[in-house]
Amino acid sequence: MVRASGLRSWLVCIDDTDDIGTKGTGEIAEEIAHLLSDNHLSRCAFVTRHQLYVHPDIPYTSHNSAMCFQVRTTKSQDEILAIAVAHLRSESAAAADPGIALLDLHSPFEQAPLIAFGEQAKEEVKTKAQAYALAEQLGIHLSEHGGTGLGVIGALAGLGLRLQGNDGRIKGQFKMPGLEAGEVSLSVGEVIELTGVDRVLSDSGEQLCFKTPLYLSGKVKAVYRDHQVSLLVYQDQGRWRNALKQQLKHY
Amino acid sequence: MQQAFELRQGRWQLTLAEEDYGASRQLAAGCDGFIADDEDEQVDDIERSCVNCARRRWLIDAIECTFL
Repeated sequence: MVRASGLRSWLVCIDDTDDIGTKGTGEIAEEIAHLLSDNHLSRCAFVTRHQLYVHPDIPYTSHNSAMCFQVRTTKSQDEILAIAVAHLRSESAAAADPGIALLDLHSPFEQAPLIAFGEQAKEEVKTKAQAYALAEQLGIHLSEHGGTGLGVIGALAGLGLRLQGNDGRIKGQFKMPGLEAGEVSLSVGEVIELTGVDRVLSDSGEQLCFKTPLYLSGKVKAVYRDHQVSLLVYQDQGRWRNALKQQLKHY
Repeated sequence: MQQAFELRQGRWQLTLAEEDYGASRQLAAGCDGFIADDEDEQVDDIERSCVNCARRRWLIDAIECTFL
């Protein structure tokens, strides 16, 4: 969206940047987001992790996931790419096959084929040729920066899944006073205030009201549902608790 | 009997039944090669678990160990 300030919104997605024991793709995505945000953290709120298909024919390192974020900036496409690609090249593992996709959310483009590509990449093997063909058709920047460059497939798929709005987990975890010491009891409203999540969502899809008490412990993480950062909870002996990693795995 | 990695088509694989990570935790507890993957890639709340290891490779309903 273009605003009076000249800020423009972009989606950036990267994939296949890491190797065993090296910096993760999520961390690199977060670093690029900060570089593009010019120290205005509000211009890039969160990174989403999107799980893609796991299959012997796909040469992912260990999990095959792409990382995507939205950023608002006055920078041009060339300036964004110069910063993002330089960081991608310097931080990616030597054995990685990194790719990056960049989408100007202000430009007119067909969402449906891009979303369909992302959804298909969760269930079937896609090729680099398919990714490049779609990117060219839709006018989306897609480029590879080392190795086989197969990361372009996940990078484009990640854009589609982020646009779809019902896929993935939010990178990182929320810090709250008292959490390190054990269990914390807060209302939904208080948790929204403290974490900045959009809402609290039950594992059956119900949005909890502001006064509902929550019992939080361990790693408190969110998922991306209905285009909203949603703290996922489940009911345990009459109490709403933050989702376990085993439950978050399905998102 | 504890479930273990089995050699299938040249890959050491551990079949996973839904979210039962008991074997994954037991095997990781006795492994010298365990390296915790990024927190965002972990799926078991008990960190030392093969499904959380950077040396595992996800397959459909199974993981492959690249350390063995």
